[in-house]
Amino acid sequence: MNTVISVRFLRSLAIYIPVLLLLFIVIAPFYWIFTSSIKTPSEIIARVPTLFPSSFTLQHYIKLFTSSDFPNYLLNSTIIALFTMAITVIIATLAAYSLYRLRFPGRNHLFRIILITYAFPGVLLLIPLYMMMTNLKLVDTLWSLVVVNVTFAAPFAVWMLQAFFRGVPVELEDAAALDGANHFRIMTHIILPLTSPGIASIAIYAFLTSWTEYIFASILIISDLRRTVPVGLAGIIGQYQVDWGLLLAGATITTLPVLFLFGLVGRHFVEGLMGGALK
Amino acid sequence: MNLITSLTKIKTRITSVRRVYRNTESILGILLVMPLLIWLLGTILYPLLSAIRLSFLDVGIIGTGGRFVGLENYKYALLSPEFWSSLGRSILWVLGNGVIQTVIAFIAALILRQPFRGRSFARIWIILSWIVPTVVVVIIWRWMLGTSGGIINYLLVTLNIVPSPVGFFGSPGTAFISVVLINSWRWFPLMTVILLAGMLVIPEELYEAAKVDGASSWQRFKNITIPALQPITFVLGLVGTLWSINVFDVIWLLTGGGPGSATTTLPVLIYHTAFKGYRLSRASAISVIFGLILLGFIWMYLRFLGRSQEEKE
Repeated sequence: MNTVISVRFLRSLAIYIPVLLLLFIVIAPFYWIFTSSIKTPSEIIARVPTLFPSSFTLQHYIKLFTSSDFPNYLLNSTIIALFTMAITVIIATLAAYSLYRLRFPGRNHLFRIILITYAFPGVLLLIPLYMMMTNLKLVDTLWSLVVVNVTFAAPFAVWMLQAFFRGVPVELEDAAALDGANHFRIMTHIILPLTSPGIASIAIYAFLTSWTEYIFASILIISDLRRTVPVGLAGIIGQYQVDWGLLLAGATITTLPVLFLFGLVGRHFVEGLMGGALK
Repeated sequence: MNLITSLTKIKTRITSVRRVYRNTESILGILLVMPLLIWLLGTILYPLLSAIRLSFLDVGIIGTGGRFVGLENYKYALLSPEFWSSLGRSILWVLGNGVIQTVIAFIAALILRQPFRGRSFARIWIILSWIVPTVVVVIIWRWMLGTSGGIINYLLVTLNIVPSPVGFFGSPGTAFISVVLINSWRWFPLMTVILLAGMLVIPEELYEAAKVDGASSWQRFKNITIPALQPITFVLGLVGTLWSINVFDVIWLLTGGGPGSATTTLPVLIYHTAFKGYRLSRASAISVIFGLILLGFIWMYLRFLGRSQEEKE
């Protein structure tokens, strides 16, 4: 009896210890910055780090929101991310409907060309896009970043939609067509409702792509007033005396929307990644 | 009316409706894909062409120069030691990241494939380090690897592994390794999820049959899992290389390409040349050469690995 229990116990240990270790590797660093961001400055730089904060203060957050430009950065990043999200969702969903649900000559070529762009190294576009934005007088506007971010989010979004769009049975469309529904009605009444988890996932993907973007934001934005969060935080890192409390609070605030949005659609998001990978 | 004729009638009607419906497809299909296509042509193809043009001019800071200088920028790039050493570092970067991420992602996918409570939670949140902004990744690791107050140095010293705190970004070797590891930490979850997707569609019967035949778990992994994952690892090898060689912000924000130029890969060199050295045309030439090298790599990859891939199938 006892040996049965202990064998079962050992077996479950062999499963759970690696799982916990894996999650620890990914999640523990986040615990560490969150808890450190509510420590007093002296505890933050204490020689012996404290696993559980022994002090509690919101002073870094207060400083971040009252005496730094962070609220401004947050607003800029949010505006850019929302526009990136809206445009990406519209053009990627239309393209996905066309590529995965309709048949027309040249479709496979188009499909390949669009998919190849998701692996396209963006750094090759750094200089020419900078020149282009200068010529279009878009440098130092939030629009320039919306344009760039859509370019990098949309191809991957189309790829992620694959699993969702291909999953809708053709018979449903045929039945609707038989009842006299046109393409528009079929798209709005059958395809979109059935693929809405996928569309939510790419919306989040587009938001996150924009939220994290650093390289173009660092060259296309010139005035401090229009900086985004990543560039703003990078500015604090670059200072001689790094204010760790401020930086950790900034990192925490920047991570919160990611956690929230991913908490909403994380399941579908990973489903989309997995489904896309198999096609 | 008998049943057969009425059924045939219904069938003809379905086909005709389907035909009308399908006829409008061609126009609609092209129309719907147009916005995306135009967007990508305008922001990828057009800039690429203008980068090629720029690489033959002598533009320094924007708005200056503009004379045609022929292959001058290419000559400069190809004769400069920085270009070759950065190319070497980029190759080392791709290989280092590739090996580390593949190994960790394989192990992680095998762990997550098993049945356990909280599995769907683990499979979702494993991706966390990939979806947070790179600047957060950088803050996390600069904070944890710091020489004063950094938890990793504290642990290393307390456990007597090193005598005094290590300046991870201070010397060329440790800086390069640290940046590779941090970037791998960021990217391995995506690889894990993709490999896991491949593992989950392998029929369970294959494993059961092998078990009956007395295959060990290593043999099952080697003879069932690995071959079944081949199509996915093939694509991942190509796409992963392109993703990884493109990485800029993690490196730039952690080390700025230093110390010295120990972590200056080609993207860092391009950025530095263009926006710190104000040599836009020169940086353009480096970009074009970089693009050509990547094209060469893609061609070889598809030609040599693609062929062996087909033979196996």
